[in-house]
Amino acid sequence: MTKIELVLTNAAGLHARPAAQFVQKASSYASKVTLLAGTKTADAKSILAIMGLGLGQGTKIELTADGPDETACLAGLQALVESNFGEG
Amino acid sequence: MVGIVVVSHSAKVAEGICELAGQMAAPGQKIIAAGGIADGGIGTDAFKIQAAIEEANTGDGVLVMVDLGSAVMSAELAIDMLVDELKDRVAIADAPILEGTVAAVVDASIGQPLVSVAATAAGARELRKR
Repeated sequence: MTKIELVLTNAAGLHARPAAQFVQKASSYASKVTLLAGTKTADAKSILAIMGLGLGQGTKIELTADGPDETACLAGLQALVESNFGEG
Repeated sequence: MVGIVVVSHSAKVAEGICELAGQMAAPGQKIIAAGGIADGGIGTDAFKIQAAIEEANTGDGVLVMVDLGSAVMSAELAIDMLVDELKDRVAIADAPILEGTVAAVVDASIGQPLVSVAATAAGARELRKR
């Protein structure tokens, strides 16, 4: 099991298109991925769970991955978040 | 990937939802609009929906999103007109059309089966605005 902490720096936060990109990226790995924000947790592969959190810009999140590709999985998600989801 | 068909009384609504949901789709994800009636007026057209379902199917089945009232009946009629082997792999979502379509497209794009995509669409009912 591996964990990382990230901050959502893109303007939209984890809504709509970024949420969809996040879920699709998480789903491309075999590992189970969980997102923790404050006291709320969500399955990172569930669009409803991620959209339901409604996380805005500046939110600190902790990602936990557990599985055969957990390191690559967290690196992939980190790169996506740090690229601001391509928002520019 | 499960294909998605968007049925609305308005062609513009159906096309607009497809345009928006398309932003969340993986390459190759089918999202087909079936809005309005043949002359471009407001209504739903079972033949148009049938053609959309056939176009949306890539082998994993199709989820049909509907707006109000008779859209459900037209969609049911369209499904009745399909060949039997496709008929069994099509479902109508009991879901809000916009949020449901967006959620369904994401789930379909990650390769989830029809039963899961339909459940995700229905779950969009619980999404709060704030």
